Amino acid sequence: MPLWFARGLRRGVVTTRYPARPDGSAASLPTPPAFRPRKLTRELVDRMIAVCPGPALRRRDDMLIFDAGACTACGRCAQAAPLAVRPSGEFELATTTRSALVKTIPILGDMR
Amino acid sequence: MSPGLDAARPDAGAAGQDEAEAARQLRDKIAAQFGRSLHIRTLDTGSCAVCEQEIRLLSAPHYDLHRLGFFLTPAPRHADLLLVTGPMVRAFEVAARKAYEAMPGPKVVVATGACALGGVYQPDPFVHGQVGAVLPVDVWIPGCPPSPLALLHGLSVAVGRLAEKTPGLTFVADGDGGGA
Repeated sequence: MPLWFARGLRRGVVTTRYPARPDGSAASLPTPPAFRPRKLTRELVDRMIAVCPGPALRRRDDMLIFDAGACTACGRCAQAAPLAVRPSGEFELATTTRSALVKTIPILGDMR
Repeated sequence: MSPGLDAARPDAGAAGQDEAEAARQLRDKIAAQFGRSLHIRTLDTGSCAVCEQEIRLLSAPHYDLHRLGFFLTPAPRHADLLLVTGPMVRAFEVAARKAYEAMPGPKVVVATGACALGGVYQPDPFVHGQVGAVLPVDVWIPGCPPSPLALLHGLSVAVGRLAEKTPGLTFVADGDGGGA
């Protein structure tokens, strides 16, 4: 405490902004999935949609529509398709536009 | 004003230009007024209380939201920002509207957590399924629950101190090309 007080007096600033420094605990947070388009097939995507507990995943032809706002980061899609899905590591997702959270991901695995 | 809030709204067509401009001006005004101090009223509309748990952690020394000039207040009369959690249970609709109307303007509504964003419950006779069905939401904070770090980022976005990252994210894993 005296150390912080002395540091504050010296710098003239007693508080920090956000983010003050990278937070060590951030790496262990559950985060929404990131997809690998070349590993995605329609059949695999349909299986992921079936295990998704919410409306976060949808498919429109060769496009996977991912609503990060509806995602609870439960990890079931990553469990169903470990090669095509991994955690994105993104958790600071606040937005002023709801539609900005809805992402379209191409399904490229069927093309070969 | 942060660059993120000025970013063009992808959903706004030519017809929405005036509305987008009005929204931008309002956000400028809010950023000017709330730039240094902001009082937050939390509103639970039927959440499982984990979002509340994370909000409570904001006052802990590790996150310390008071250093940023954010304060939790028990009365909507004193609040600038309504932090709404839960899927908006229909039984709570009247109370939610009353809390919103009791707040002095300008006011900001933040939908917090996947329930509030429509990710968990579908509309049925018991829930609206999302906060946006009842209140005009200004900022959406996803997460189940959003971590205190995500909440601090969301509050900073709400007052225009930090840029939002979401428009730049693709959720395509690195090194796999494909674009998005």
